[in-house]
Amino acid sequence: MSEILIKNASVCDPAQGINCEAMDLCIRDGKIVESVSENAKVIDAGGRLAMAGGFDGHTHSAGKINVGRFINPNDARKNLVPGLSGQVARTEKTRAQVGYNTPNTYAIGYRYAKLGYTTICEAAIPLLAARHTHEEFKEIPILDKMGLSLFGSNWQVMEYIRDKEPEKLAAYIAWGLKASRGYGVKIVNPGGGEAWGWGKNVSGLYDPVPNFDVTPAEILMGLAEANERLQLPHSVHVHCNNLGKPGNYATTIETMKMFEKVKPSRDRQSLHVTHVQFNAYAGTSWRDFETGAPMVSDYVNGADHLTFDLGQVIFGPAVTMTADGPVEYANSRMLHEKWSNQDVELEDASGVVPLFYSPKSFVNAVQWAIGLELALLVKDPWKVMFTTDSPNGGSFVNYPEAFTYLMSAKKREQVISGFSQMALDRMVLPGIDRELDFYELAVMTRSTQSKIYSMPEKGNLKVGSDADIAIYDLIPGQVDPSAEHEKVKKAFSGTAYTLKDGEIVVKDGEIEATPKGRVYWVNAKVPETVDTAMQKDIDFKFKKYYTVSKSNYMVEDAYLTKPVEIDTEGVF
Amino acid sequence: MQVVKLSLKKANKIPIEADNVNPDNFAGKTKEEIEAILVWYGNGQCPLGDLFNVEVEGSDSVENTKIVIEGDVSRVKRIGQDMSAGEIEINGNVDMHCGSNMRGGKITINGDADSWLGCEMKGGEITLNGNAAYYVGSGYRGESCGMRGGKITVNGDVKDYLGEHMCGGEILVKGNAGLLPAISNNGGTITIEGSATMPASEMKSGTVIIKGETSDLLPSYKEDGTEEVDGITYRKFVGDVNAGGKGVLLIK
Repeated sequence: MSEILIKNASVCDPAQGINCEAMDLCIRDGKIVESVSENAKVIDAGGRLAMAGGFDGHTHSAGKINVGRFINPNDARKNLVPGLSGQVARTEKTRAQVGYNTPNTYAIGYRYAKLGYTTICEAAIPLLAARHTHEEFKEIPILDKMGLSLFGSNWQVMEYIRDKEPEKLAAYIAWGLKASRGYGVKIVNPGGGEAWGWGKNVSGLYDPVPNFDVTPAEILMGLAEANERLQLPHSVHVHCNNLGKPGNYATTIETMKMFEKVKPSRDRQSLHVTHVQFNAYAGTSWRDFETGAPMVSDYVNGADHLTFDLGQVIFGPAVTMTADGPVEYANSRMLHEKWSNQDVELEDASGVVPLFYSPKSFVNAVQWAIGLELALLVKDPWKVMFTTDSPNGGSFVNYPEAFTYLMSAKKREQVISGFSQMALDRMVLPGIDRELDFYELAVMTRSTQSKIYSMPEKGNLKVGSDADIAIYDLIPGQVDPSAEHEKVKKAFSGTAYTLKDGEIVVKDGEIEATPKGRVYWVNAKVPETVDTAMQKDIDFKFKKYYTVSKSNYMVEDAYLTKPVEIDTEGVF
Repeated sequence: MQVVKLSLKKANKIPIEADNVNPDNFAGKTKEEIEAILVWYGNGQCPLGDLFNVEVEGSDSVENTKIVIEGDVSRVKRIGQDMSAGEIEINGNVDMHCGSNMRGGKITINGDADSWLGCEMKGGEITLNGNAAYYVGSGYRGESCGMRGGKITVNGDVKDYLGEHMCGGEILVKGNAGLLPAISNNGGTITIEGSATMPASEMKSGTVIIKGETSDLLPSYKEDGTEEVDGITYRKFVGDVNAGGKGVLLIK
């Protein structure tokens, strides 16, 4: 039995409505408890800010990131955020680290932990490549991990939707989550991945997918219905159609509106829209491109069925990686950049393109502003999850920098002062003076995640929750984040302490221990008769089309370190 | 004037990464201070004095510091990396990455050089009195810009991929070049006095002059009259058309 007492912490825990109050935290055997014995090891927080461990709800940290690694060998030596990037020799406690946007697996674990993050959600697992994702999960130390499985351009999904077989569809989703050991349903440019197989794309919600006679709208509704039928812990996680195109805010709002009629089967949202920054563009071309954030946030402010994340842009080099194949083709042609393109057999497409966000480019400057406008114009922080869609908008090691944009209007002014007049005319950010406090920041980086993924033991400090805790070298009340943004950035760049399951993993910004994290996955129960009928259909697919057999396709338990199976009961 | 003489105490099999061996790090330092400078030896670091005999004469600024390396250092990498001024003279063969990311000053090598000589160099001058291996003046893996400035003169032959991704500066090869010299370059001038094979593929801009024989000229070049350089008339080609390039390739 191990006990820790964190004394005199300034606790910020929005799940309990606690806003920077002086408190003690008690930990026994990796969980938060009411009280501990006097033998407990004492950590004196000295009035410093304590939050639950951070939770990155949308990051590309295992799987496709590997393609980014091998088309950008030069990333290994980039060191734009000293201490959190570049080449670091191994020590007694840590393995060698390299990279910035696409660091090696060990560096991902260490660097998230230094930022006070303890849980990450990999945003895209192609079913066929799930084994690889889990092999990388295995080598990411410290963090708890989970991943979302891709279903948006899957042949079997589209056939069941076309043939109006919702029960079999739900059974297929349940099987797909099991096959990939995934946590939820990710939909990327619904139908677009399949169209890309023919060198095409879908242009909107009602544009039929070639050869399948279904529309993106039908795919979204079909998958949402299956998602709720299976009572999955997370809602569908949607990357909207038309990503990265001027004028796409209309498609985004249309998609959001369509979900008003979806009734969630659990106490959570019915739709999560991801990296909305890339989907909140107004204008008709790159010439008259401007922000669409006011329209999107207006809609979100009046709706309560959805949540979203930012996809904030960070100036400097980034690597875009997505299942949205046609977008990556467009990026590579427009920017004359390296391009990786993949066809995931019957399931989806995928692409990787490195790029550079420059404050001198008016398009990039406006993109940078849109992410912040979304965060600041949406009134309720519980609808917002902070992300950079790492490394699409920029590497996660820049989170502390991005937090200062949210917390300090002065800091924003500093950045904005370098923009061209043309960029300023296309954004509304200079007129926004809202500054987030620690409480709202904690909501966007921890509490929202806990709620939208239905993970009550994460992202909060309630009794019974996992003892994942970050203590930052800041004393609330004595620091003014608006003026002292450099101090805030420094504190968020390396915690005073990060605890994972009650173990000190980071102390004074240095790694102390590297325990293995868990992998969460969802096992949804489906009636045997429905499952058997569905298996017949996929057996046919494996015989006729797949290059692998079904027995070689499933991720077995041997691939998972410390697996946590979350069971749900499907309603049939 | 400060002169620092280095010679290996004994030949090494495990490579030494001597990225700290440059005038910027040696200027104004005593023998003891230079001996204490750390270099990577295999997977660990050790003081320079453990591996090299060090002699120091005088003490002066970076510009007036000269490092003389005697003997074969063909397992010592990165000599002169990042140097901004001063001079290095190497009387023997040298390992990879010599003069990489160099910004100024002068390196003279009286021997052969291994691959990546002067890669991503931004200024200064390298003279090689011997042959070089692959990737002279090129960019590191994955980079889009290799050499950006300065001059490399090779008084011998070079192997493949000379000046890959070069964006500026000048390379002169008095001997022959191997396969694909000037691949993907985007600026700068390369002159090869000997022969070359498949030159300037994917060139976007820049000039390549081949005085000797050219084998396997790529079909993605358009002939565009003749041009005279230093009294010699060359056939002029423009391309690489595949990359939408406007580079100039002059051959006999």
